[in-house]
Amino acid sequence: MDRQHRQQILIVDDEQINRTVLREIFNDDYDILEAANGQDAIFQIKNNHDIILILLDIVMPVKDGFEVLEYMKEEELMQKIPVILITGESVVDSEDRAYAYGVADVMHKPFFPHIVRRRSRNIIQLYQSKHDMEVRLKVQEKAIKAKEKEIRDNNEFMIDALSSVVEFRSAETGEHVRRIKYFTRIMLKYLMKYFPKYNVTQSQAEQIARASALHDIGKIGIQDSILLKPGKLTEQEFEIMKTHTVIGCEILEKFRESQSSEFYRFCYEICRHHHERWDGNGYPDHLVGDEIPISAQIVAIADVYDALVSPRVYKSVYANNIAFDMIMNGECGQFSPDVLECFELAKVDFFNIVEVIKMFDFT
Amino acid sequence: MSLLEELGTLGVNIEEGTKRLMGNVSLYERMMGTFHKMMMDSKIQPEDFDCEDCTELIEKTHAIKGASGNLSVTPVYEAYSEIVKLLRQNEPAQAKEVFVKLQPVQEEIIACIEKHM
Repeated sequence: MDRQHRQQILIVDDEQINRTVLREIFNDDYDILEAANGQDAIFQIKNNHDIILILLDIVMPVKDGFEVLEYMKEEELMQKIPVILITGESVVDSEDRAYAYGVADVMHKPFFPHIVRRRSRNIIQLYQSKHDMEVRLKVQEKAIKAKEKEIRDNNEFMIDALSSVVEFRSAETGEHVRRIKYFTRIMLKYLMKYFPKYNVTQSQAEQIARASALHDIGKIGIQDSILLKPGKLTEQEFEIMKTHTVIGCEILEKFRESQSSEFYRFCYEICRHHHERWDGNGYPDHLVGDEIPISAQIVAIADVYDALVSPRVYKSVYANNIAFDMIMNGECGQFSPDVLECFELAKVDFFNIVEVIKMFDFT
Repeated sequence: MSLLEELGTLGVNIEEGTKRLMGNVSLYERMMGTFHKMMMDSKIQPEDFDCEDCTELIEKTHAIKGASGNLSVTPVYEAYSEIVKLLRQNEPAQAKEVFVKLQPVQEEIIACIEKHM
């Protein structure tokens, strides 16, 4: 190794003779630092960052070897820098205590140079291999996380693109999907905080938000004459429109193999049940109360709110507070008390999102 | 006779000692000077063994044991190994006996080093 960049070995012993003997063993390959007591040793450790081995005596003035070990333990250095205890006596208690601190080895005076050198090198190599492996693992972990994010982003992009097809067909902006995701995330934030009984985790919340984009995917199967009709639908047309929930599930069913089971479950629940209502007056299955999956309940309220505050071909825009009151009063169907409480908590966030979207005119 | 030859006749294992310093004979000789200084600085007398609290004596004898061992000053190392062991077992009287036996040999070795300094 380049002499200017040689690694360092710290020799800690109060006797110069012992330090000299050790210095001679390692002098050719390493830069040698010396300390005559524990206090000097701590100073050297604090001020040198290329120490790859410490040879540490125990019985020393000012501060003994155990005090150095205590310092290293507190600073979490025992995993990083190997310590070989050098002792003049075979005192089992001291050695046990030293091993409990995490020293790599114990050697006894007088030294046998070839043994000291071989054992020291083995320990240095072991720690360096461990360190290199940890660095490699960190790099790999970072790369895997980046890859995961890329895949997640790509998936999200594809889901959004697919969902937007329906909106573009119905001459809407494509921003509905994005807004539903925002609203869903906010609702879930309050649900997780104030209603732990639903056991929704952060990871599940993220999956539900992504799955919310597909809530209307079944509208692909609804003919233009109904989907694009500006006026009120007839009873028969409305019955056809309601089938988008079931059609959506049929589409999802075809892609089931390529989706992880939990994410698929959320997509399915949301597609099929986002028009169910708490009192059983929703569709397609007329589920009642907690029969409706919580994912679908959350997306349902987000969908209704967005429909009220956004312009549609068949209706004008409602003001935020009016839309809020309409939902709370049950004018848009019954929601669960828990979901309504979350909605009330999320009220300001919802209003802000609508205002920000207006301000920046994302369309 | 040179220092090392003379020390050899007093039981110092020169070959082992220089090997421990990677064959560096002049460094070994210098270390003998350091050893001499150490023995002078921490001079031990028989009456030191009449101690009730022998902590300081244990520290001194422990240090001499380590240094003499590394320089292969074998008679000193072997005696001090026994002395430290006895002191740790709280047997200062027995340790004193070992020291008294060693003392003339130790003084001869110290005198030899001093003569060549």
